Amino acid sequence: MAVKMTRRRFLQSTGCAAAVLPFANLVKADDSFVKYPYVSPGSMAGTQTVTGGICEMCFWRCQVVGKVRDGKLVKLEGNPKSIDNGKSLCARGNAGVKLLYDPDRLKYPLKNIGKRGAPKWKRISWDEALDECATRLKATIDKYGPQGITIFPHGSSAVYPMHFFEHVIGTPNNSEASFFQCRGARDLAYLATLGVPAGEEVDMANAKVIFLLGSHLGENVHVSHLKRYLKGLENGAKLIVVDPRFSAAAAKADVWVKIKPGTDTAFLLAIMNYLAENEKYNVEYVDDNGDGFDDFCEGIAHASLSWAAKICDVPEAQIKQVADMLSADMPHVAIHPGRHTSWYGNDFQRERAMACLTGMLGAIGTVGGFVRPIGPKLGRFSWPTPMKEHAEEYSLRKLAKVHKFSPPGTPTDLIRNAALSGQPYPIKAMVTWGQNPIQTVPNQAQTIAMLEQMDFVLVCDVMPTDITMYADILLPEVSYLERYDYIKRGTQWDFAEEHQQYIAARMPLVAPETKDHERKDSVWITNELAKRMGYGEHIKAKTAEEMVDIMLAGAKPPLSLKQLRAEDGIHLQEGEDPYDVELDVVFYSEALEEAGYPPVPTYTEVPQPPAGYARLVYGRLPVHTFNRTQNNVWLHQESTLNPVWLNEQSAKKMGLKDGDMVELVNDQGVKSRTATVVKVTPGIRSDTVYMAHGYGSMNPALTVGVGAGVDDQSLISNPSIDPETGTHGMRNNFVRFIKDGKELSIPA
Amino acid sequence: MAMEKPVDNAGTRLAEILRFLAAAMEYPQRSWLTPPYWAALEGLLHEIGSNSADAMLPSYPASPEQLECLQVEHTRLFINAVPHVIAPPYGSVYLDGDGMLYGASAERAKAFYRQENFELRGSHDIPDYLGHELRFVALLLEQGREEAAELFLRQCFRPWFGSFYQRVSRESRHPYYVVLVSLIDFFTEEEEDHGS
Amino acid sequence: MSQYGMIIDLNRCVGCHACSVACRAEWNVPIGKDSEDRVRRRSWVERLGPTETPKGLAYTYYPGLCNHCDKPSCVEVCPADTVSMTFTGKDGTTKTMDVAATWKDPFDGSVQIDKERCIGCGACAEACPYTARYMNEDGDEPKADKCTFCVERIALGGEPACVQTCLAGARIFGDVSDPDSAVSAYIKKGAVRLESAAVKLGPNVRYFGKERDLYLLDKTSTPQELAQINQRRLLMAHLSKKTSRHLQGMGLLGMAALWMKSKEQDSDRTE
Repeated sequence: MAVKMTRRRFLQSTGCAAAVLPFANLVKADDSFVKYPYVSPGSMAGTQTVTGGICEMCFWRCQVVGKVRDGKLVKLEGNPKSIDNGKSLCARGNAGVKLLYDPDRLKYPLKNIGKRGAPKWKRISWDEALDECATRLKATIDKYGPQGITIFPHGSSAVYPMHFFEHVIGTPNNSEASFFQCRGARDLAYLATLGVPAGEEVDMANAKVIFLLGSHLGENVHVSHLKRYLKGLENGAKLIVVDPRFSAAAAKADVWVKIKPGTDTAFLLAIMNYLAENEKYNVEYVDDNGDGFDDFCEGIAHASLSWAAKICDVPEAQIKQVADMLSADMPHVAIHPGRHTSWYGNDFQRERAMACLTGMLGAIGTVGGFVRPIGPKLGRFSWPTPMKEHAEEYSLRKLAKVHKFSPPGTPTDLIRNAALSGQPYPIKAMVTWGQNPIQTVPNQAQTIAMLEQMDFVLVCDVMPTDITMYADILLPEVSYLERYDYIKRGTQWDFAEEHQQYIAARMPLVAPETKDHERKDSVWITNELAKRMGYGEHIKAKTAEEMVDIMLAGAKPPLSLKQLRAEDGIHLQEGEDPYDVELDVVFYSEALEEAGYPPVPTYTEVPQPPAGYARLVYGRLPVHTFNRTQNNVWLHQESTLNPVWLNEQSAKKMGLKDGDMVELVNDQGVKSRTATVVKVTPGIRSDTVYMAHGYGSMNPALTVGVGAGVDDQSLISNPSIDPETGTHGMRNNFVRFIKDGKELSIPA
Repeated sequence: MAMEKPVDNAGTRLAEILRFLAAAMEYPQRSWLTPPYWAALEGLLHEIGSNSADAMLPSYPASPEQLECLQVEHTRLFINAVPHVIAPPYGSVYLDGDGMLYGASAERAKAFYRQENFELRGSHDIPDYLGHELRFVALLLEQGREEAAELFLRQCFRPWFGSFYQRVSRESRHPYYVVLVSLIDFFTEEEEDHGS
Repeated sequence: MSQYGMIIDLNRCVGCHACSVACRAEWNVPIGKDSEDRVRRRSWVERLGPTETPKGLAYTYYPGLCNHCDKPSCVEVCPADTVSMTFTGKDGTTKTMDVAATWKDPFDGSVQIDKERCIGCGACAEACPYTARYMNEDGDEPKADKCTFCVERIALGGEPACVQTCLAGARIFGDVSDPDSAVSAYIKKGAVRLESAAVKLGPNVRYFGKERDLYLLDKTSTPQELAQINQRRLLMAHLSKKTSRHLQGMGLLGMAALWMKSKEQDSDRTE
């Protein structure tokens, strides 16, 4: 900008006089500053410890405190009062500060005046955003019925809106990632076998043997969970790890079973058959609590050690060794149910086998076994359910008479197929709250096609994750460090210690309001939406604080946020002994038989990689949970890429060396958007490659995470659906590498 | 910016202009983006004798479409965008290694406010937000504290504003913001003819 | 005299990286690399393996930090002016020493830096064979930075940030000169130092673990040679040591003049 005069000359000129240019009249009163009384710097040197934080960098939800210096959150630490994570946090928990101050965070309601996938954002007011959401969601309901709306929720802030859409609006089409792409098959299998969901509370701390099937503890980090595991190892528990890869857990194991992927159920059946045939199981427990054990034994009689050895590509002697180890120390055996279990589309049966094995060992309600800690009671809070019958009537799985053991909600593929085909009814509006279906749900092309056929897409999140690119209206939510919503409760992590219970309600560590954004919490957003859609009468809590206080009031004795604040964020009370509980074990399930599923745990062969391809399995690096953590500068620094593990013999044949950069392509021709580094190691089978999930974001608005590493989900285009539960099996996808533009076959 | 006070009340005038520019950088809305506002902006450009900027500034965005165009550009430049936001209006994004908000440089700005007996009203406000820094300089000038204002500009504001200015003027698709950041640049830069 | 030391128990460590991130938060350690391509960090975790070793397949971690060595190679190369500094032990005894901008504390054995007096030359960072120091060039002047064993937190009754956050209890901090301390118990059990024939500085961070894991750690992470320090810097370091009394008055300006002179000589030589 060429300027003729200097500022000083200008300011002294007549042209600048107030009469000529009345700036002062044009500028509204400024309220950014107040006069600050001078205080000596010494008293500002320290930090203030703010209690009441509940982490949500993952979903284990450790209890944290914030170290706040003069309005700035400088550090997060474990709440020293916690009997769960204690003063410890994992890398992600420690890095939460950088989520709070990430300039990429969503700040204002945005309207997409461009295209889905290539958005052009315009900041709009909350009134305009909410009015538009209400109008367009109402229009969908008027035209297609409530079932024409689908919701993809994840995380604690999504619970309140999820129940609003399910219960008040009346759509059954709720695709919860934590069920359909994660834990659903596990919990339903345990429900069908032991009558209770699995959870992960298995008593590893006091076990004599810990049995992990695919669980890569250490690479997957949940603080109190790992404390149990390490306490068990410290106490001398033998560790058995079944994994095609030499995982972090396998590295600590006494026995590593280098199993062929997808064959776990055969392995489990052979162990159980061996225990039955040799009467090495817990006869007393099974006699007292077993249901249909003889029929069960008959049903698995084919599963000899040699049969399984061949299928699993594992020495027969090793299967026998594992079975004998389990038997020798029963019932103090921790058979870990796993967490992410949506692997191969035969997952319900595998988890049934895990539960049956637990039952055969009598490792239930006993020291070191499958123990269900008794946590404190809380009051319930939910929306009323005026549309419950409507939602059930339009349940896609009931209409199709499939997935009779589905977790709550509707299996993702039924929703996506209905949206794409319009059958049995159209689904024309999508609400995504805290979930990123792009990286969560297999077959991205289909997910994008589903999004494109919607009349309206509403997304609410903290960060500009991949899915936000497809929103018509994008709403900014406050982060877990700035809101009330969730109440974490539980017991001391080591069940052998003094029995205690805790209740910790999330409270903001820093004020949600600042002058440079207009983020809101999900209770406020949902209530405003409900009012505008004509459902205001159903609102039970005006604010998130009120909702939390209603739940706390139901504790025994009643609690309140006020009291929790006075108790440094965590209320402790006397607990109950979780041991000496017996559970019935349904070995042979008539309920399953009637529904048309195998009544006895059954191994189904999974698709095998075509020549030149290896199976892609995925897991975790301890520094990332997903898309939302990938943009964190501290976590990014710890592990910038997700190396793809390749067997060293294969690498040799392929001419690849450790550190080479490759792209991946699957057997359906889907290529990774980005490249990553090869990790050459003897610690993986040659028919398998492995990488960590939560990398390779596609939204460039995640300026740190975009394109860093490879998005495993982009290569999972061919999901297998678990028949009983409708959950997604995601490990039947096969890949090879591309180096310098050339496709490289992976020798078997 | 060695201003001979109290000559012609130049400090107060500069304060008014900085407040005016801080307000102009806020989200464009009809409530304040009025013909008198636009005329003042044009007048300002004319008076400082910037032909190029004067020529660059389009006519008053009277239509809803013209206003929306400005709003979209504001969102893209300063809030959120795909592929990515161009120029987040916070100092530490440019000054501190990791590009995050509330870095050490933001704390320095806050310490400066304190030293001059000011405190942000929002206890968790990000201190080095563009609007806050400009208004702080205005406050100092109004109090006749030209030297402190100059020091703040030199130590806290100019070190990042240069990069911000570059990004906006290079990337902006609307001349309005190029003109605005040029004006902020003009009114905050150190004068070369010191003391003359 | 006591000597602070740390044990990393690799049998407990799960490689979660919490220590590194907690350290970054505690001390506001910048990300990225410095101008000499060193990762800017005070504490780190490197993932090692799975690799075949003579002791079996190993997959472990290298959680590293400043070793606060018995004979720190970083301290002797510091060319900054020395000053007389009085240290106070826990029992109130004092000791006065002439120290440059980095020194080894005579009471707790930790190696510390005075950021005010650090001239940012980078010689110490070059001298450390473990790359435990980096240069923080974000401020007006570059400054050397590294782990302090969190003595500032310890003075307030705390423990090192990395130790506090470790969920595994894999980091054990204490006094190696106290035979009854937990760290001494680990030393008796066989915790090892990352030392080689050429690099024997007496590091006070020790590692405990399975044979195969220690084998892999040693193979990948033990320095095999002492760093070659920029000759000019070394010369200056020696100059300032030997003649510190004379150079005192010259201060940094004098150092700068020496620097310029040696630079001119360099360019003379190349021309």
